[in-house]
Amino acid sequence: MSLSFAKRQINSLLLLELFRGLSITGRVFLTRAITIRYPEEDTPISPRFRGMLALRRYANGEERCIGCRLCEAACPALAITIEADVRSDGSRRTTIYDIDAFKCMHCGFCEEACPVDAIVLTSEMHYHMEARGENIFTKDKLLAIGDLYEEKIAQDREKDNA
Amino acid sequence: MIKFEIDGKKIQAKSGSTIIEAADAAGVDVSHIPRFCYHSKLSIAASCRMCLVEVENGRKPLPACATTVTAGMKIYTKSHQAMQAQKEVMSFLLINHPLDCPICDQGGECELQDLSMGYGRTSTSFIEGKRSIKDKDIGPLIATEMTRCIHCTRCVRFCSEIAGLRELGILGRGEHSEISTYVEHSMQSELAGNIIDLCPVGALTSKPFRFKARAWELRARAGIAGHDCLGSNINIHIKRESDSQPERIMRVVSRTNEKLNETWLSDRDRFSYTGLYHADRLARPMIKQIGKWQETDWETALTVATQKLQNVIAQNGAQAVGGLISPNSTVEECYLFQAWLRSLGVPHIDHRIRQSDFDHQIQSPLVWSTCKCVQSLEETTSFLLIGSFIREEQPLITSRIRKATQGGARVHVINPVDFDFHLTLTNRCIVSPWGMVCSLAAIAQVLFGNDKKKLNIMPKPIAELIRQQKPNTVEHDIARDLQQDKAPLILLGALAQAHPYFSYLRVLSETIAIEIGAKTLHLTDSANEAGAWLATALPHRRIDGVSIKEPGYNAKAMLAKTLKSYCLFGLEPTYDSAYPELARTALQQAECVIVCSAFKNKAMLEYADVLLPIATHLENEGSFVNIEGTRQSFQRSVNKPFAEARCGWKVLRVLANFMGRPGFDYQTVLELSSELSRNLENDLQSEHIPPVDFKPLPTVSDNTVWRCGYWPIYRNDSLVRRAEPLQVLTVEQDLAKLRLGAALATHLKVNNGDRVSVSSDHPDAKPVTLQVLIDQRIADATVCLPSGLPDIAINGPLSVVRITT
Ligand code: SF4
Ligand code: SF4
Ligand code: SF4
Ligand code: FES
Repeated sequence: MSLSFAKRQINSLLLLELFRGLSITGRVFLTRAITIRYPEEDTPISPRFRGMLALRRYANGEERCIGCRLCEAACPALAITIEADVRSDGSRRTTIYDIDAFKCMHCGFCEEACPVDAIVLTSEMHYHMEARGENIFTKDKLLAIGDLYEEKIAQDREKDNA
Repeated sequence: MIKFEIDGKKIQAKSGSTIIEAADAAGVDVSHIPRFCYHSKLSIAASCRMCLVEVENGRKPLPACATTVTAGMKIYTKSHQAMQAQKEVMSFLLINHPLDCPICDQGGECELQDLSMGYGRTSTSFIEGKRSIKDKDIGPLIATEMTRCIHCTRCVRFCSEIAGLRELGILGRGEHSEISTYVEHSMQSELAGNIIDLCPVGALTSKPFRFKARAWELRARAGIAGHDCLGSNINIHIKRESDSQPERIMRVVSRTNEKLNETWLSDRDRFSYTGLYHADRLARPMIKQIGKWQETDWETALTVATQKLQNVIAQNGAQAVGGLISPNSTVEECYLFQAWLRSLGVPHIDHRIRQSDFDHQIQSPLVWSTCKCVQSLEETTSFLLIGSFIREEQPLITSRIRKATQGGARVHVINPVDFDFHLTLTNRCIVSPWGMVCSLAAIAQVLFGNDKKKLNIMPKPIAELIRQQKPNTVEHDIARDLQQDKAPLILLGALAQAHPYFSYLRVLSETIAIEIGAKTLHLTDSANEAGAWLATALPHRRIDGVSIKEPGYNAKAMLAKTLKSYCLFGLEPTYDSAYPELARTALQQAECVIVCSAFKNKAMLEYADVLLPIATHLENEGSFVNIEGTRQSFQRSVNKPFAEARCGWKVLRVLANFMGRPGFDYQTVLELSSELSRNLENDLQSEHIPPVDFKPLPTVSDNTVWRCGYWPIYRNDSLVRRAEPLQVLTVEQDLAKLRLGAALATHLKVNNGDRVSVSSDHPDAKPVTLQVLIDQRIADATVCLPSGLPDIAINGPLSVVRITT
């Protein structure tokens, strides 16, 4: 009891704890700052990053999605709504493909479920909505996003496969 | 009974049964043998080899579906040898099968997909190209993807064994074999839809349902089919409400009931759901205000209906009101309908919208039929079929009769048209509608024509008719065969029921039945005729079974007498009635017509004043009584019928409430059912029934021409009339022609393609102009012109018609 009391007294007299703390400050002071100037600057992200949703097309412009509804079934947040029907060429295509971005939690299960790599989560995270209703990503919107990001999406999948 | 072992468990089975039958009877706890080609209701093909099992001391694995069990046999379904064999078979099946289940419409409910989870390999060593087969167009009901076919031949066997039409077969051999209709055509069978259920893979799928939903999104609810009198059991598949769509009935499939439909379902019952969301469907109550229709809420519509009806009753008395209800309504609806109208004092209530002759009504039994004959149809060896296009009226009963004929049963037919039943007929009397009565009388004469005593106790005109007959050889044959048979069955069809001398047919057939110890069965073309009788939606009988002294008008008289007001329930009289012309005039002149219906049509918008939307049988709750007298209840499949529509019994209850009638306080359909059941219990009162007067025999001249106006299978009720895929088939049949035999054509001096006018035999009947089609199947002095077709309204489906060239 008395020994530890003495120890404490000496420690506080010599300001040892203060110097220990200051040594951290000093070390950090001398290393390079990791603060980035968001949004002008970005942190590096993994190719597996799960950001904004998109629907991809094949190189010939044909939409990949075959309306199998596996993503709808897989989605734990029930964010996906699909209606499908027969297209004039006899194949099944979605007539409605809505994702509610407010419900979506970016788990990526839909991408996992999709047999044709149609629905994907892009690495894009910078998006926002301004009006009520914009949170519903319709098929057209999702395809447009896919068209816009196709190159990046393809690259990311490539890296992931490698 | 033999004793043997499966997977070490001791089991008994009937001798002669196959391993797979024995294993299935023992249940899944014992074992489940995978299979594709085997189906308990079809013959054995043993072509897929998926069911290979190991049998002790056997040299190689044996197909369980084609090997009969023997005493002491030891079978291993999960042994190394059995599993190995099954896995090899699976890899062979998958050689040519596409591996793209997400694209396939069967995915999620596919036997191949399921079994490949257990027996498939995860990798493939197959690098050669897969074969692909061109899809076939086999009509508007069934979509094909023949590349997915695994050649189990279930569909082929179904067509030849159950449907009675060899429409599908295998073309080519080995690698080149494919399933096809030999010549490309739509499938004609009215049971064709069953091959969708039978096909273990996605080669044959439902076309109307194609790509609309996935199996895992659907919820199944048990229901009862509502288009024929068998009461087939069905499962209704419903997709839940989503942001984009309200709750929807997506398809109907069969539900097994060995006593009635086995595992089958007719196309009419399977695809009628496609009419549910037709543009004609009434979404909201509507009222006509100064000639203009407007949608309104229930409160207003019911108030208007109440006011109008009460006005008519106040001014003209309840005698001026008539109530017609569809025999496809539930027992509860029929009961409430008559209770409501009777509480208002309305005497004219009827459901027999297709009947022409009501003379014998008072002597009709309270319970239509209690003979549980459906299951025993296959064992019956002699049938007499009177006035029925049974293949279209009762597709599944026909398939049972077909099975009986395959076992040697004889079928005798008395019909005005030599309809094609796809079964072997022993004798046929193809005679005019009046000739039908005569033929039956001739058979009676052969049977007991010499027995004075018997004839004397019969009604005079009928005894007279029997005496007059000179039976021909066919009639002799029929009579002899019926007499010699142990337990013949007499079937009266819808054409007999619509016959202007139905009472004659009925008395004659009943007398014959008693004479030869036969059973009789009335095959009605509606779902709940028997129930409507029980619930006394009739002008001449009270709910306790007592006859009413002064009965109200029957369905025909109600229309002929032009009342001031009509209440229609679930009917489109201009299509459904045997008297469409009368119906139109009567309804048009009426001051107030209140219609409870699921659908509207053009004529209805002209004559009705208030339209109250009700649920169809697929969305309804209640019960149907089928031909055997079995009452089958069903619950509401959907949370809420289409849009603002309500279950019929609720509408009727609220109508009664609005009119201030006491005692209509049912909260649930169950309360209503139990009250009805209580009423039926003390139903069987015996009372003295006075003998009835039969109408005199008609005068038939050489120039008399009769009509055979059967209701084509897909024109039978409001819902099927709106089922587009089924209507495509109706259009293909090209029914709006005047068909007649060559003899009559010569007599009338008309040729194929000529245009003639036809009208009912009434001075101011409106003629319809039609093309002539000479058809050898039509009896002499008879023309065939179906009922229920658009723009053709002729009174009397089996009456005399006038033809002017
Ligand atoms: S996105 Fe993929 S999983 Fe979803 S429906 Fe389309 S193909 Fe199927
Ligand atoms: S038939 Fe069955 S196994 Fe074949 S693709 Fe369709 S779902 Fe898959
Ligand atoms: S179409 Fe279907 S039922 Fe017919 S043989 Fe092929 S797999 Fe079997
Ligand atoms: S089920 Fe036995 S061979 Fe097909």
